[in-house]
Amino acid sequence: MSGPVQAALAGDPVLAAHYADFRAKAEGALDPALAALVRQAVAQVHGMEAAPIDDSALDEGTCACLAYARRMPFEHTAISDAEAAALVTHLGEPGFVAFSVVTALADAECRAALVDLPGLAGA
Amino acid sequence: MSTIPRVSSAIAGEPAHFGSVLAHQPEIAESFFALYGRFWGSDVLPARIKEVARMRNARITECGFCRNVRFDKAVAQGLGEDVVDDITDGYESSGRLTDTEKAVLKFTDALIHDPELLTGDARAALQRHLSPAQIAEAGLGVTLFLALAKALITMGLEPEVMDRTVLPTPAVLEAAE
Repeated sequence: MSGPVQAALAGDPVLAAHYADFRAKAEGALDPALAALVRQAVAQVHGMEAAPIDDSALDEGTCACLAYARRMPFEHTAISDAEAAALVTHLGEPGFVAFSVVTALADAECRAALVDLPGLAGA
Repeated sequence: MSTIPRVSSAIAGEPAHFGSVLAHQPEIAESFFALYGRFWGSDVLPARIKEVARMRNARITECGFCRNVRFDKAVAQGLGEDVVDDITDGYESSGRLTDTEKAVLKFTDALIHDPELLTGDARAALQRHLSPAQIAEAGLGVTLFLALAKALITMGLEPEVMDRTVLPTPAVLEAAE
């Protein structure tokens, strides 16, 4: 598991390990395929290189998750109670908590990559 | 933006707040608090500078909870309300914020808002004022502040009303080390 934050923390192995563990625990609480799709969808919103997602090949619940994830980067305050409730129904409360953390972290990591955090930190 | 929790508390008798909702995922919660304690416990980047970045994130993401919390370690390092009041648009002209803090605020804005803000002089200023290890820690901090603020907001955990509250700075739990 890697990413811009993990790379930037190369000089502090203890903090890097804590971060890696947190990221792994969050993603590990979701279906691995969904976690990967969330990262992919958020990266696309940021205009980063990511393979396109064929939403037509996905089930309704996964599509709803990705639609929600795509709003996290620039529209997080506009997400409605109804949109959130639909995801809670689909994922369950524990799943929705993990999904919220993973999606928000994916957005923040894309932003860290876009400012070249590893380069700034000399990694 | 909702101030009605979209997730229930997982801790009997406690209202829904970040900790009680995260308790639906005990492994994530334990790992997060270990990470956050380690981050705030490190003095590679002073707590005051971390708090300056956290305050800026709170204002841009519109996280009312984050905006009203102060961590005591940063307060003890001189981060008073007069300084916090300057962490708004136009901070570049503040006489209370240090040049290092202004460089970190520009970095924070770039990471959470527009990466184009960190080109040329702003990038050079950041690297002049902070060591690579400090930049790495600042980057971790802003990443976590942003992600947690957005998770908190989207889970409906924004308080309707909240007074300014000074909290103990997150610390490493002995059992976690």
